[in-house]
Amino acid sequence: MTAASDRLELSRLVHRFGLGPKPGEYLQLLADGIPQARAKILSRRPDPGLNALVTPPFPNMGQAPSDPTASSAYWTKVYDQSIALGIWWMDRMVLADYPFIERMTWFWHGHWATSISKVSFARPMKIQNDTLRTHALGNFKDMSRALVQDCALIYWLDGEENVAYSPNENLGREFMELFTLGVGNYTQTDVHQAALGFSGYSVDLTAGTVSFDAKMHENTPVSVLGKRQVFDAVSLSDWIVSRPENAKFIARRLWFRFISSTEEPPASLARVFEHRDISLLINTIARNPAMRRPQYSQTKSPVEWFVSACRALRVTPSKFGQAGDLDWLLSSMGQFPFNPPSVGGWPYDEAWLTAAAINYRMSLATNLVQSGHLEPLTSVPPSKMVQAAADWLGVAQWSTRTERALNQAVSDPARLALLALNAPEYLVNA
Amino acid sequence: MSPCDFNRRQFLKYTGAAGAATMAATLSMDDVAQAASVTPLPVGTPILVIVTLYGGNDGLNTVVPYLDPAYLSNRPDMSLDPAQVLPLSDSLALNGTMTGFQSLWSANKLAIVLGTSYPNPNLSHFSSMAIWQTGSPVEEISSGWIGRYLDAYPRDPFRAIGIDSTLPALFAGNHSVGSMVPIWGLNVPYGSLGTQMGLLADPSKQDTALVADAAGSISDLFALSSVLTPILKTAPPTSASPLAQQLDVVANMITGNVPTRVYSVSLSGFDTHADELSQQNVLVGQLSDAITAFLTQVGTSPRADDVVVMVYSEFGRRVQANGGEGTDHGTSAPVFVAGNRVAGGFYGEQPSLTNLVQGDLAVVVDFRDVYASMLEDVLGTESGQILNNWSTKLPLITSAS
Repeated sequence: MTAASDRLELSRLVHRFGLGPKPGEYLQLLADGIPQARAKILSRRPDPGLNALVTPPFPNMGQAPSDPTASSAYWTKVYDQSIALGIWWMDRMVLADYPFIERMTWFWHGHWATSISKVSFARPMKIQNDTLRTHALGNFKDMSRALVQDCALIYWLDGEENVAYSPNENLGREFMELFTLGVGNYTQTDVHQAALGFSGYSVDLTAGTVSFDAKMHENTPVSVLGKRQVFDAVSLSDWIVSRPENAKFIARRLWFRFISSTEEPPASLARVFEHRDISLLINTIARNPAMRRPQYSQTKSPVEWFVSACRALRVTPSKFGQAGDLDWLLSSMGQFPFNPPSVGGWPYDEAWLTAAAINYRMSLATNLVQSGHLEPLTSVPPSKMVQAAADWLGVAQWSTRTERALNQAVSDPARLALLALNAPEYLVNA
Repeated sequence: MSPCDFNRRQFLKYTGAAGAATMAATLSMDDVAQAASVTPLPVGTPILVIVTLYGGNDGLNTVVPYLDPAYLSNRPDMSLDPAQVLPLSDSLALNGTMTGFQSLWSANKLAIVLGTSYPNPNLSHFSSMAIWQTGSPVEEISSGWIGRYLDAYPRDPFRAIGIDSTLPALFAGNHSVGSMVPIWGLNVPYGSLGTQMGLLADPSKQDTALVADAAGSISDLFALSSVLTPILKTAPPTSASPLAQQLDVVANMITGNVPTRVYSVSLSGFDTHADELSQQNVLVGQLSDAITAFLTQVGTSPRADDVVVMVYSEFGRRVQANGGEGTDHGTSAPVFVAGNRVAGGFYGEQPSLTNLVQGDLAVVVDFRDVYASMLEDVLGTESGQILNNWSTKLPLITSAS
């Protein structure tokens, strides 16, 4: 008999550091024991699951044609590609056998939150996504350097408009507030001066490329956070990321999204991030004793819920119904990849737990269960089906409330699966 | 182009729930008992509709100091043509797209609270919106001001309803939350699935706070749906603006006697650092049209005098335009309050465009004065316990309903 705290810790490991277990995986990891299971979940290795991934081309769409009919077809294609990109990423999350890197990339997408609603084109968003994946477990200094030179991010925060003779503060402010330091660790003067440091970068949006125009760049010294020099985007990023507040801020952001939005992280966590080593930081967080304590629950976001359900049911998002329907249902729940509501990223916890969301979730779950594989339930006798559902989905323990509901459906595995996917203990990673 | 070309019919078809909206939902016995205990809101009960403008609406191109030389000189490429604005006085005018608000103003049903913000305005979208939604400029807290209003009553999914699928911070109390309803209305599962889903809503002692919230959201769905499904039979026209669609749903709930005292709706897209003029004109035009149409819709019902609408954004924008024909984050801006019981006119005063505080407009009115008026004179509750002892207010609401 496995200890309840092992089941809890493993449930958190597979859902928060992975993207939910594939069929049979939770019990296998439980048998391996926590140390080995954790090492597997936090490992990066060649991923045979991704052999099945099909990546559509996201070509440079070039200028929109002026002819009205051709223009309409052009924008329809642009829009279809934006949906295809989101579904491609969810395919990747679902197919991966080692989803830790996708989970981290997903976190960083919410951190450097850039929205295709303004960027419009899939190509620059795909390039940013590749950049985030490259650095997802690397060094934050390198990641930040890459992002301040990223086409989609620059365009999203009006970097194009930011020129030395007339600075636009959007990128300078959000860079310090949301990406590197946190509110309160800089002044309005720093924002203005940082804008000058970031000036002079322009983008070719459809190509997804960035160029630097020295004539539009502030080439006299500016003063940011007490340091006065001629900055460019890279030197400015390096300087801001080197501040001690950066270590504290990024450590808190990861803790907030992986462990708890209400409980404070240990004060020592920022020290772990001294050298901006993301892998070391997330590995430390995954080993925190909070992982075994009941009060650290977190709500799955709509995409996290959908991806974990697809993994359990072996459903590939791009082969599941109409792309537009999937976009609409997830967007109605408040979340579709590449389309965060603002530069502040996605909501969390209580915000997702609304009566409104249930309608859309039930619709998705109904269709998922119809298209998915239910062997983990159909292969066991009715008397064992409720426990089998917990093991299949990686739920630490059903409450007696949920057990009572599920027990009413043991004669109908599809119904039981539908209820389990909508159970409070599945919506929230307890 | 619209990001979503679906309508309700397609939604129902896709979900396999066709017919569910018109079919009486089969509820568990508990739910039937609960639904029966929901009494219609008595006519004469005041209703507050909160409209949040996300992104920081440029106050100066909404209520325009159209003759001020400093307005024209600070915004060479993005000041509004004085010949095309809608004058309210010899110094202030509405954006030319806001003809609906102009008619409300003429009817003395529109209050404009000028220069509204809070001490030491924060230029971050998220911090400033958190301050407005928690109602707490001094101390960082996690509960919303309407959430704390809900905390004073027994849990009731009807008391505050927002039209969206995620919960805004203003609706999160310390132990109560407002409910969220999509513009399409709610569908509950029926038959044996409905019964089994109903069981998932039961509380359990094993639940953590979040798991209990998840169960609570299921329970809210059944309770809300039993009342709302017959009322929200017709979805709003998809051609309407997002705000107009949300307010159409609210109007149907109000005229359908739903026992809700606070509604929350929102309009996004105000973060216009570049090419601002054309984007903002569209948005404030939608705002004015949607609210005017909404007040007209409820104006023909017995609840015409019950409804008060309040409109705010997290901040206004900088007086001086930036190089991209946009404006960066600023400070104070006008708050609008509209309705039959509203004492129309200007409150506060227009901050000087030349006598700036750290480059931005001065703060004339503290938003808590507006909130206290809404809490006391609309919702009939003491503001002090909700706004950390804040008690000053503005005479925005005439006493008789």
